[in-house]
Amino acid sequence: MDRENRRYLLGVFMAEEDILGATRTAREMGYKIVDVYAPYAVHGLEHAMGLGRTRLPLITLMLGLLGAGLKVWFEYWSTAIDWPVNVGGKPWDSLPAFFPVTFEVMVLFAGVGTVVAFVIGQRLLPGRKTKLPVEGVTDDRFALVLEETDAGFDKVAAEEMFARFNVVEVIERVKQEPLQ
Amino acid sequence: MSNKPASKPDGWGQRLPELPDGGAGAPLQKDLLNGVSRRHFMQATGFAFIGTMMLGCTAVSEEEALPYLEQPEGVIAGRSDLYATTCGGCSAGCGMLARSRDGRPVKLEGNPDHPLSHGGLCAVGQASLLGLYDSHRLRAPVMDGKASDWASVDVALGDRLRQLRSASGRVAWLGAPITSPNKRARVEEFLATFDNGRLVEASANSQMPIAEAHGLTHGVATVPRYHFDRAQVIVSVDADFLGTWISPVEFTAAWSSRRRGDALENGFSEHVQFESRMSVTGTKADLRLRIAPGERAAVLNQLVRHLSQHAHRSLRQIQDRPLTSVDDAQIAAIAARLWEHRDQALVVCGADDLAAQTLCNAANELLGAYGKCLDLAQPAHHAGSSETELSLLLDEIAAGRIDALFVDGLNPVLDLPAGAALAQRLDAMQLVVSFSPYEDETSAHADFICPDHHYLESWSDNDNITGLMSYTQPIVAPMGATRQLEESLSMWTTGAVVPVRDQVLASSGGDVRRFDKLLHDGFEMRDVRQNAGNFRPDGVHAASDPDASGLQLVLYSKVAIPSSAHAFNPWLHELPDPVTKSVWDNYASLSPATAERLSLQDGDVVRVALGQDAAVEVPVLIQPGQHDSAVAVALGYGSVLSRRFEGVGPGWIERKPTVGSDGLVGASATAVLAFEGGRRKFAGRSVTVEATGARRELARTQDYHSLDVPPHLAPEGGERRPNVQETTVAALMDPHFGEHAIEHHDGGNMWPVDHPYEGHHWGMVIDLTLCTGCSACVTSCQVENNVPVVGKDEVRRNREMHWLRIDRYFVDRDPATAGGDRSNGTGNGDVDVSHQPMMCHHCDNAPCETVCPVLATVHSDEGLNQQVYNRCVGTRYCMNNCPYKVRRFNWFEYAHEDEHENLAMNPDVTIRSRGIMEKCSFCAQRIQEAKIVARQQRRPVADGDIRMACQQSCAAQAISFGDMNDPESAVARARDSRRHFQVLAEIGVQPSVGYTSLVRNRPTDHEGPQHG
Amino acid sequence: MASEHVLQQRPLIEGNKTPGQVTADICRLLDGKPSGTWWAAFLASASLLGLGAVAIGYQIMTGIGVWGLNNTVGWAFDITNFVFWIGIGHAGTLISAVLFLFRQRWRTSVNRAAEAMTIFAVMCAGIFPLIHMGRPWFAYWMFPYINARGPLWINFRSPLVWDFFAIATYFTISLTFWYIGMVPDLATIRDRLKPGLRKNIMSFLALGWNGSYRTWLRYETVYMLLAGLATPLVISVHTIVSWDFATSVIPGWHTTIFPPYFVAGAVFSGMAMVLTLMLIARKTMHLEDYITKQHLGAMTKLMLFTGSLVGLAYGTEFFTAAYSGNKYEQFTFLNRAMGPFAWAYWTMVSCNVITPQLFWFKRVRENFLIVFILTIFVNIGMWFERFVIIVTSLHRDYLPASWADYSPSLVEIATLLGSFGLFLTLFLLFVRFVPVIAMGEVKGVLGIGRGSGHGS
Repeated sequence: MDRENRRYLLGVFMAEEDILGATRTAREMGYKIVDVYAPYAVHGLEHAMGLGRTRLPLITLMLGLLGAGLKVWFEYWSTAIDWPVNVGGKPWDSLPAFFPVTFEVMVLFAGVGTVVAFVIGQRLLPGRKTKLPVEGVTDDRFALVLEETDAGFDKVAAEEMFARFNVVEVIERVKQEPLQ
Repeated sequence: MSNKPASKPDGWGQRLPELPDGGAGAPLQKDLLNGVSRRHFMQATGFAFIGTMMLGCTAVSEEEALPYLEQPEGVIAGRSDLYATTCGGCSAGCGMLARSRDGRPVKLEGNPDHPLSHGGLCAVGQASLLGLYDSHRLRAPVMDGKASDWASVDVALGDRLRQLRSASGRVAWLGAPITSPNKRARVEEFLATFDNGRLVEASANSQMPIAEAHGLTHGVATVPRYHFDRAQVIVSVDADFLGTWISPVEFTAAWSSRRRGDALENGFSEHVQFESRMSVTGTKADLRLRIAPGERAAVLNQLVRHLSQHAHRSLRQIQDRPLTSVDDAQIAAIAARLWEHRDQALVVCGADDLAAQTLCNAANELLGAYGKCLDLAQPAHHAGSSETELSLLLDEIAAGRIDALFVDGLNPVLDLPAGAALAQRLDAMQLVVSFSPYEDETSAHADFICPDHHYLESWSDNDNITGLMSYTQPIVAPMGATRQLEESLSMWTTGAVVPVRDQVLASSGGDVRRFDKLLHDGFEMRDVRQNAGNFRPDGVHAASDPDASGLQLVLYSKVAIPSSAHAFNPWLHELPDPVTKSVWDNYASLSPATAERLSLQDGDVVRVALGQDAAVEVPVLIQPGQHDSAVAVALGYGSVLSRRFEGVGPGWIERKPTVGSDGLVGASATAVLAFEGGRRKFAGRSVTVEATGARRELARTQDYHSLDVPPHLAPEGGERRPNVQETTVAALMDPHFGEHAIEHHDGGNMWPVDHPYEGHHWGMVIDLTLCTGCSACVTSCQVENNVPVVGKDEVRRNREMHWLRIDRYFVDRDPATAGGDRSNGTGNGDVDVSHQPMMCHHCDNAPCETVCPVLATVHSDEGLNQQVYNRCVGTRYCMNNCPYKVRRFNWFEYAHEDEHENLAMNPDVTIRSRGIMEKCSFCAQRIQEAKIVARQQRRPVADGDIRMACQQSCAAQAISFGDMNDPESAVARARDSRRHFQVLAEIGVQPSVGYTSLVRNRPTDHEGPQHG
Repeated sequence: MASEHVLQQRPLIEGNKTPGQVTADICRLLDGKPSGTWWAAFLASASLLGLGAVAIGYQIMTGIGVWGLNNTVGWAFDITNFVFWIGIGHAGTLISAVLFLFRQRWRTSVNRAAEAMTIFAVMCAGIFPLIHMGRPWFAYWMFPYINARGPLWINFRSPLVWDFFAIATYFTISLTFWYIGMVPDLATIRDRLKPGLRKNIMSFLALGWNGSYRTWLRYETVYMLLAGLATPLVISVHTIVSWDFATSVIPGWHTTIFPPYFVAGAVFSGMAMVLTLMLIARKTMHLEDYITKQHLGAMTKLMLFTGSLVGLAYGTEFFTAAYSGNKYEQFTFLNRAMGPFAWAYWTMVSCNVITPQLFWFKRVRENFLIVFILTIFVNIGMWFERFVIIVTSLHRDYLPASWADYSPSLVEIATLLGSFGLFLTLFLLFVRFVPVIAMGEVKGVLGIGRGSGHGS
């Protein structure tokens, strides 16, 4: 899609409760919230933004089961089929003895897999260059970014709403780089 | 060993043991051609069994000495042949089979057919193999301290002899007792060439008075042959006949035939031991009475007194009153038992004084034992000369009245009293010739050292027992330019070397065909009898009142180091003493009470002094069961031959040396050996013992010595560990025995049994009644399995490598103080001793296997617990999880640098490298060999085909091994014994090794362990 | 949650910090030259590390024989140190994962350091299974790699294999967890640095984090998931370590109580080590506002709890032995308490059972100095616990003839010191180059206890 005529309104806040309030109100007023930037995970913001749940837990579960399955098979195959050898008179398939390693491998697959899925999903890659919407969002400032969807977008009302939540700075940007 | 060969052999052996055929094959032929004349050699190979060597050597000439490129007939590389010969380890002359592999002997085993040893071979015999490959042996004659050759020696010595003969010089031969008729003939011929030559045969130990005593009491100065197998009641006064006395293997075999707990109908002998120190024999006695060293004659006096009353024969020498502290009623009871079984009664005495020996003869005479349990008609030939002759010779030497001395098989400077003085006289003497294979204390003072062959390179005939001729044949050509004594003598007598094989052939009767048969068998029986003499009451010496005051010295010989001649042998030095479990040292044994009285601890160095100047400094070892007045020190230590062990054992920052500050192993106790009235007095001299303040840590393979756990740590009912189970003959008589007494564990499985043993299922049973702890099996195992020697410091750190150990337990017989480690000095001092051989139990549910992460130890389908050296990463988890603690870890890279000693290695067994685990393999290589042979003969492996190294060497035949699945096999039958039990079966590991309980012939109601 | 209700009363972070000040305070530690104290400490621990390296080198060149082990005692310092360090390694994950799941917001001040500690401790622990092998150069045989030796795999029945997998997994997961938790802070640092090498390094490591709340949301989920996985993992790891002993047949080892006993012990020792280090850091790095009496209180209470569990376990062992009627087991425990190693046993008991009981008293709990000293005792006691379990069980087991004594060699002692050297060296580097306190998380809890913000 072309982004030429895209315009964004960006409000910078200093306090957790302000960004929460501003976001909530912006959504009630029907603005399109592009994103919110915060130096830490402000709880409740996901509701304010109206974001859904992620599918990561499902991935974790799948990977875990996969790892466990593979391991049980391998242990059984290598111990009882590929090279059955009498070890301390134990039965060929000592399943109880296989449990610990199976569990560890399950956790390994699930854990590492989840993180990999996360960094890929969020395109967080080593050395990836990024540009902050505004200085300080990784320090102590919060930023709310709205998209001026059409000509009917009431910029004044939006700025007033920002002001109600002690906005410290309002910036309007055109031809903003893709944010996500 | 880390010591380099003194004279590097001409480049051979390096390839060993990896390339046995090449490495040994080539040098063998090369040396054959160097060592002996081709003529001699052709003769040497004139019969079937040595044919191997002939073909091997005639096939290739010296220049192209190579591995068997073209296979000579009869030689199969990698297969071993057995040659019958006679052990030269001591004067007992046990028959043995030398296992020759690719032309070199790699293992010595008892000859099962031999009438003396019946297949047993003691630790010393086993270890004598190393003497053959000892790189410190003289490889050429020495003239005036410089290496020389035989031609020049014969010339130079010839002149000196001529001078002597013309000047009718006084010549003496001082040597070990000669047991070979041929050698005796040569020696006598040689001495006859002098106007006054004389022969004195002396042994370093205290056995010479036996013959002397019989000279007095029976008119025949000889050592009788003892038949312990015929004795129902045995009374031994300080005779360690199962350990060191005269012919231990023969006696052990005979003794054990009357100690079979599963064949009581054959009779089960009663064995009473009077002794002052704790001997191997003492540990097996049914009744053991501690006496002061000086009381031996007196005790025998009491015994004879009672016997003479039974026999209604009075001896005027017998004093009619008890001279000892020993309870006379007890001796009376013993006498009664003897009398009751007088047809099968035997009294033996190991004392060094004539009174005791003659009284012992009197006792046997009264019992009518002569001709039954001991035999003068077919006596043994260890007799030697009398102590008096010896002392006279030494006096004359001291007085400078001997011009020439020939020394053979003895190291007088070290082994006899006043050695230092003797050494000076030797230097002053016109001519001193030594036949020693080493430059030892005596030969160092000789003008000529004419090194004799090792017996495995020799030809000889031995009539150690009248009527039994055992033959010695070379198993390998001489390693160096040595020459057998008989040849040297023939040269010096006749001016030409008469090949010794011809001499032996001649003395055997000269029939070559018959000779081959004799060599094949290794011995022949002949019906030769001597005059047995008659008892002369006047010959009996009266016992004098013993002075039991103070501390009395006992000088004895150890099982491992019977004499200084073995001081070069690392296998023997590292063999734990059967009683003290100590290695690499001699020490002063004291009873716990005495040690406490003198406030001495194990390892405190004490000065054992005889008068002012004569003294020896040795560490203290607290020995339970020893008489409080006895101070026992072993002879045979402190020899220059042990100087080589300075560097033995792995080197690292906290290493401590194996040798003492003087660079020697142990201290020579002959410093406190002296003549008294013309005879060496080994025991009974009163000595003083005082601490020097120094300490010398003893290295013992066992730190805790009792079956009883320390009392303050003992849980209710858990005071005594049940791993040794004991019973009595009386208890066995009960047909219901064993039904409830010994708990049998079925070791049920908690998981499905996936591993049934359909084919073979190897197992072993060891009879604790028969095991004397003599430790022949330990050395046999070490030789068979290339077990490294690690040195004193490593043993002190409990890192000995022996795959087979013998656990020895003392249990206090005094119920008041029972419990705890007896070496703590409490209790009345009477202890019961048990020996328990302990090796890998090859558990079917082996705890070691389960825990190995890399499958380096797994189970074979024949029940063997296999250690895969190449796979082992050395986590030591298996070692920790072994309830028997029989696994051995290679803590360091143990040295195998000595090309010569490496030749003694068994090519069938891998050398283990640093960082891996090893342990008893049930001699897997022997099982394999037997299977191959059986397959070649298209028959199944039969019971008895496979004999473990330990089992083979056992004179008492205490070990049975075989297929547990074969109900007829010896091992299966042993497992059915009522006495059978398994150690730690209760933890469900299902061991393949079992034991049959220790039977003592005692009234059941005695205190002490009763698990039966 | 009750504890949280209590925590509502007083602010978690003192001194009315704003997020900006937090950033400033924490990052200040990373800027500028290291202090003299730091250099002194660093040199000291680096030389310890060097000593250990020499000892290990000598041992690998010469053989395990340079340790004091023998045919009866096949493990001693090596596995003692291993279990000790693994135990230390448990606090980090516990604090970051378990407390996270329990919404213990106070953890935010300490979890970064605790996690770092975990990683370093696991590294120390990992050394010992490696060097205790007779042939460490074949250590890779522990892994079932496709090999040219035919079907030659490994023994999945062996607790050592379980160990290998458990520790490998634990290390990987902890490292990931630690790094992911650090990404936002790395971004913070990146954004306040002037262009240069450090900035480039930071931008590389920060994965292009820009504080987008969509990312934050998934980040929180991942964090939650990892916490959820790490919690059973941390328990499984020490359970498996305890199985090294519990599955054996040696009296004193062969006991079912080990897993819970070991886990409790691990948390106990871990907490002690975290406190020891954090109290030093607090003083030297002026973090008084971030590590407060509340943290102390919470952690000492945790130690009181786990310490009491350990004490209970000691008692239970004796009861089991007595009640089992197994004579070998009974002897083993009598031997522990009264045998040749009684001194070690009673050191252990007094350090691990008596010490934590002092935490019943608020005055003790809130006195930084006393707590510091007590944690040292606990560290010592927990080392001895492992020593006692391993050595006293081995040195006198079934057959009296094979009973033996044990005493460490110089090399062994040097190796132990070396492992402390490694641990401290790494920790000192950590406090220099990584934010010791999780800014991102602390900022989230600033509000707590200030009425204004809503904690959760």
